[in-house]
Amino acid sequence: MNNLENAKSRTLTIEKELNAPVALVWEAWSQPEHIAKWWGPKGMEITVEVHDFKVGGQWRYSMQMPDGNTFITKGTYLAIETHERIVTSADFKPMTENVELHILFKAQGEKTLFTFHCVHETEEYCAQQEKMGFYNGWGSVFNNLKAFVETSS
Amino acid sequence: MRDWTEKVFSIPNGKTDHNLSLGDFQKADIRKNICVTKMLHLYLYQNGYLMRRDVFQAIADPLRRDMIALLAKESLTINQVAEKFDVSRPAVSKHLKILEECGIISITNQGRERYCAIQPKQLIPAFLWIDQYKNLWEERIDSFENYINQLKNERNEQS
Repeated sequence: MNNLENAKSRTLTIEKELNAPVALVWEAWSQPEHIAKWWGPKGMEITVEVHDFKVGGQWRYSMQMPDGNTFITKGTYLAIETHERIVTSADFKPMTENVELHILFKAQGEKTLFTFHCVHETEEYCAQQEKMGFYNGWGSVFNNLKAFVETSS
Repeated sequence: MRDWTEKVFSIPNGKTDHNLSLGDFQKADIRKNICVTKMLHLYLYQNGYLMRRDVFQAIADPLRRDMIALLAKESLTINQVAEKFDVSRPAVSKHLKILEECGIISITNQGRERYCAIQPKQLIPAFLWIDQYKNLWEERIDSFENYINQLKNERNEQS
């Protein structure tokens, strides 16, 4: 969790209260026959090519695009705590390589508090770069852009 | 000029939908600072011979992202940019040239120095992309929620 706190500025968070018990939510998120049905955008079929649901195990989903290209998302599970937490790396080319997904489940009676974090650039990547992360860099670019747009209008 | 333009246009491509014509090259006047090389680039790009030059290509490389962040703060000469990075001067020039071709920076001569300045408006597509990217996750989680509800209903009916 400390990692998440540190990475706040480069994390996308979505929180939802799901109207189903945690066992069902967990099953739908972690079993390939379910994933195939909800992962893709509307009307898009995806194929679960690899799904090794254990720490260190890999996953790989492919999606056939209308233009004939195949869009691949893949990653490696970093942590799995049944009914509580899944952490996985994820690669979405071209721009969002090397993100870390933290999916948290919290049972609330017959409901589930579901929290999804997408952390951009892992600690590992930052260390490797030894510079500001991508998003931090963007922060200053966007601030400057904002200033530019405001002063030039 | 005729020799090399003819060479360019004799590239077998099977495409006829290019927007530049041989006449455009002949009209190009270097004295009026119309850069023939740039037109050639445009022609080659339009016909798929060059890699796409856009904001996404500009930010595809971590070093270029750092250069954008640096130049977003202030305009610098090529030499000043080179001093900030631990890579060779030719490598710095190459990346700056790509950024220029992508329209992210402008490079202008001032006396003996070549100044690099950011063109912030060109970065707007990247902004929009990040928003879309957020939408993508929101849609996916919505899709997950719908699926959960559906699954729950199915199970209830079965029991």
